[in-house]
Amino acid sequence: MSSLSKYSNSFMTLLMLAVFTGMVLIATRYPPGARFMPFVIGFPAIALCLLQLFLDARERRLAREGAVADAGLSEIEKAERQASRAAGRPIHFDVGEMLLPADSGIPPREHLRREMIAWAYFLAFIAGVILFGFHLAVPVFLLLFLRYRAETSWLAAVTGTALGSFVLFFAFEYVLRISLYPGFITDRIKDMLGG
Amino acid sequence: MIEIMFSSLYAMLTSPQIMGLMLIGVLCGLIVGVTPGIGGRLSIALAIPFVFGMEMVAGAVFLLTMHACNGTSGQISSIMFGVPGDGDDAATTLDGYPMAKKGEAGRALGASVTASGVGGIFGAFVLAIMIPVLEPVVMAFSPAEFFLMAMLGITFIAFLAGGDQIFRGIIIGLLGLILATIGTDPYTGTPRYAGDFLFLWDGLSLVTAVLAIFAIPEMIALAVRGGSIAAVSMEGAKFSYRQLFEGILEVPKHWWLVIRSSVIGSVVGMIPGLGSNTAAWLAYGHAVQTSKTPERFGKGAVEGVIAPECSSNSREGGSLLPTLFFGIPGSSGMAVLMGAFIILGIQPGPTMMTTQLPLVWTLIWALVIGNLIAIAFLLVVMRWAAMLTFVNGAILVPFIIVLAVVGSYVNEGQWENLVVLVAISIVGYGMLRFNWPRAPFVIGLVLGRISEESLHKALGLWGWQFFLRPLSLILIAMIVSTIAFAVWKQSRQAKRMRPQLTAAQ
Repeated sequence: MSSLSKYSNSFMTLLMLAVFTGMVLIATRYPPGARFMPFVIGFPAIALCLLQLFLDARERRLAREGAVADAGLSEIEKAERQASRAAGRPIHFDVGEMLLPADSGIPPREHLRREMIAWAYFLAFIAGVILFGFHLAVPVFLLLFLRYRAETSWLAAVTGTALGSFVLFFAFEYVLRISLYPGFITDRIKDMLGG
Repeated sequence: MIEIMFSSLYAMLTSPQIMGLMLIGVLCGLIVGVTPGIGGRLSIALAIPFVFGMEMVAGAVFLLTMHACNGTSGQISSIMFGVPGDGDDAATTLDGYPMAKKGEAGRALGASVTASGVGGIFGAFVLAIMIPVLEPVVMAFSPAEFFLMAMLGITFIAFLAGGDQIFRGIIIGLLGLILATIGTDPYTGTPRYAGDFLFLWDGLSLVTAVLAIFAIPEMIALAVRGGSIAAVSMEGAKFSYRQLFEGILEVPKHWWLVIRSSVIGSVVGMIPGLGSNTAAWLAYGHAVQTSKTPERFGKGAVEGVIAPECSSNSREGGSLLPTLFFGIPGSSGMAVLMGAFIILGIQPGPTMMTTQLPLVWTLIWALVIGNLIAIAFLLVVMRWAAMLTFVNGAILVPFIIVLAVVGSYVNEGQWENLVVLVAISIVGYGMLRFNWPRAPFVIGLVLGRISEESLHKALGLWGWQFFLRPLSLILIAMIVSTIAFAVWKQSRQAKRMRPQLTAAQ
């Protein structure tokens, strides 16, 4: 367990504690009938978050001492242990080139960089949809992601974008008859042009 | 009962729409199963926008067949390349991959696909047999018990995440429950947590929340790690259709093992909280223990492929039982499926035994027919299906993100849901990144309104005395003992590790 992961567990618990506390505080302004359920859920949740914070601290202490089950074992070794327990005898996997997706082995700094990039793409796509609508944002997002993130060739990226966009708009707008969001700016421009 | 059973089958077989959707469901399920990076839960989450507004039976059949056929194709990469798609498939890898390395990939695949299909059908029959047995139990439940069942469901799903994660799981379940209170309060008309945001007055969009918790975080994670397994050797990838046929015949040859493994899977499925991997590992362990030649296991024994496959697929039928009749999902996949069912208007509980019994039978038949179609289809296209294993996950990411964002928008036609999607996705990614369970959130969210309603009804009928009703006391005891067992398991594990560490230091 990396130090980031250890402390982020507490961060998640604190986030949950903040959410529940905030929601309970807001609920105090509601009439008794309306605040009943938020209280029934919120108070036990706050108590559990506090208990979890204590457990997180204990987990960190145990991790410092190294007392974490399967610590230092690879994913394959952990799976071998599980299989051995189930079968009741030692079992060794004969999977020389076995690749497990979770066993990525990406250095933390590189991992963080990739995360930031992936989130930037996603957030930019959402912003693009809200501002310019699906018709513009979808092809741009697909093209940029396929070309620069998935590192496909320009030909593959353009083909994938064209096919993906066509299937999406055909399925939703022609088959399911659902209008996709046109976007704030696109709508304003259309209004200005009298469209 | 007999009349409903066969009229449901007839109605299903004579409906081109349902049969067509079932075929699409099977196809999607098989593709999702074999493609790396897309799990069963994610596929259900992505399919929800498409079934939104669809007729209840048709939508449910589509989703269930897709979910049920997921596992049938998942073992292809385990056997051919030694790359398990998920925990269930890891058990199949133990003997499947050595078989492939010995040049018997076709035999292993034939046996695994047939065993998986037979297991799925067996699970459906177990579900059918259990209906009359469970009827009096389900009918005895009142609103008081349904509130506690929702709590029990969250506890079981939290327990599924692992004994040491139980409190995190319950916290996440409660987060789902409290977020379900967003919107107009049904008793006072107060808009809770919605303020001036009119789009929140009807409550948080369930589709958006499910997509944000499962689809977006999974795709961000896939984009970060990449998902191609193209570097894997093709050494074991060769097989012939003659071998495939030999593999199919292995299943009737080991019929007694098939029955025992399927029973194990169905029973594990019926008990929420035992985890998705347990069925496959238990069946594998059972096959080893009962074999006259246990030394062959791990080196390419066909029984080591048949047992986990039968068991993991028969679990689906078993886990439908608590999902449909008690509102407690038997697995995390079932949790998402249950959310989708509720969106379609299916209300788990006693009505499934009374007014909705034809729907239950339709779902049972959908499991049987879906599995038969999946076996037939997969055995024919096996050679090409295996190629999907080599799809680079990074290429799938933008398409799935687009689908999730479109899905979030179309179910209510509100752009504001995209902002909610981002907010919940951030929390969802935090949960994924730091290994917090996510399935309890969906259960909390889908059961939120029902449990609030049940609680108000129970209080109206019995006051706080409802906690002292005999069935309520049993359910409270189950909740407490589940938590106590998880805590005990965790402390025992910590104690066991201490001497080893002391010795190591």
